[in-house]
Amino acid sequence: MLTRRLIVCLDVKGGRVVKGVQFEGLRDVGDPVELAMRYEEAGADEVTFLDISASNEERGTLWDLVHRTAERLFIPLTVGGGVRTVDDVGRALRAGADKVSLNSAAVARPEVLTECAERFGAQCVVASIDAKRDGDRWRVYTHGGKKATDLDAVTWARECVKRGAGEILLTSIDRDGARSGYDLELTRTIAEQVDVPVIASGGAGNAEHVRAALQEGKAEAALVAGILHDGVTTVGAIKALLQKSGLGIRSL
Amino acid sequence: MRVTLFDYGAGNLHSLAKALATAPGVEVRVQEDPSRALDTDVLVLPGVGAFGAAAARLEPGRDKMRQALEDGLPCLGICLGMQLMFDTSDEGGGWGLGFFRGQVTKLRSRRVPHIGWNSVEEDTALKSAKLGSVYYAHSFVCRAEEPGVVVGWTTHEEDRFPAAVRRGKVLGVQFHPEKSSAAGVRFVQAFLEEVRT
Repeated sequence: MLTRRLIVCLDVKGGRVVKGVQFEGLRDVGDPVELAMRYEEAGADEVTFLDISASNEERGTLWDLVHRTAERLFIPLTVGGGVRTVDDVGRALRAGADKVSLNSAAVARPEVLTECAERFGAQCVVASIDAKRDGDRWRVYTHGGKKATDLDAVTWARECVKRGAGEILLTSIDRDGARSGYDLELTRTIAEQVDVPVIASGGAGNAEHVRAALQEGKAEAALVAGILHDGVTTVGAIKALLQKSGLGIRSL
Repeated sequence: MRVTLFDYGAGNLHSLAKALATAPGVEVRVQEDPSRALDTDVLVLPGVGAFGAAAARLEPGRDKMRQALEDGLPCLGICLGMQLMFDTSDEGGGWGLGFFRGQVTKLRSRRVPHIGWNSVEEDTALKSAKLGSVYYAHSFVCRAEEPGVVVGWTTHEEDRFPAAVRRGKVLGVQFHPEKSSAAGVRFVQAFLEEVRT
């Protein structure tokens, strides 16, 4: 049986790991390669690098970072943030990424998902969706949560899958960095609408929140960042709770 | 021991090259030419890309490579690399090596691609390394026609498919050992150790 996954996200900027709160205000948390390896040892099932560089100069460090990480990390590595075109995806994969996530670029030009899936396979194409509650639905935002679109998150998630995305990385902008728990309704609504894995993201404050995202939220995987970097909890503690709750997970 | 990765130009070879290099006395090379890739002690067919494109890159050296495997060249095929050891694939045109008989078809599951960690049942792939939970990322699987070659099974929803096939020193695995953390790296090391003698 396929196990549920705990994915550790490292926001990188200029070659360092940083952590932001609701897309504003950044703190330095460490070296990406060292952190990624430490999380693999602790039992993380995957690592995601999200490049939040503001300039091309900062972003130029990303491929070298991916290369250095892939040489030492023996669990899957996903890269997102600096990726816009099919050629960017090819470069990320060549550098050592196993999967690539596309966000604003896919909204601007949905065909890019199909092009990537045809060239590299759906298994390495992750559609990253930033959603914010708007009345009784969720609106898609781009550009790191700054720019509102006219897209409904549920409709857009289905569209992404139709166009070739092999996974959906779903971030609640309302919950991101708030540590009040994942947006379970958003996660469940989309998980029930698509046949590809949904990765819940945004809002983890403790291990119980992760459990809820996988059980009540029906996500295949949960993305965790700040609470691990800050030592609020550990990969081992989260996985112990998941196992106790009857979820199939990989143990070391 | 020379270990050569046949590069069909698709994707990430770094983790695999590093996993192979962890075995003692191993020198890893990458070769884009299928015939030249045979000048080696162990051949590795890596796992990223689409069948059609990879089969096209394989074509000029296909018969030679198949013969080399028949003659005893140790070979490890991973994911797409395993699929290339079979006859044909529904994913794309062209011919695989046909070293194992059978067709590559899409997973018969609701959730495709099959992405994540899954367990291997009836694992007899290697003597000295046992498989627990391994990492998968694929939509297609090998329907082996000779049941005897299957040395491990995995189930995704209703579909039970070969996790590993082996004949002599030729081993194909549908999962990614180089992405299966410490146990996967040990599996790669154990394969090299087992075919060395």
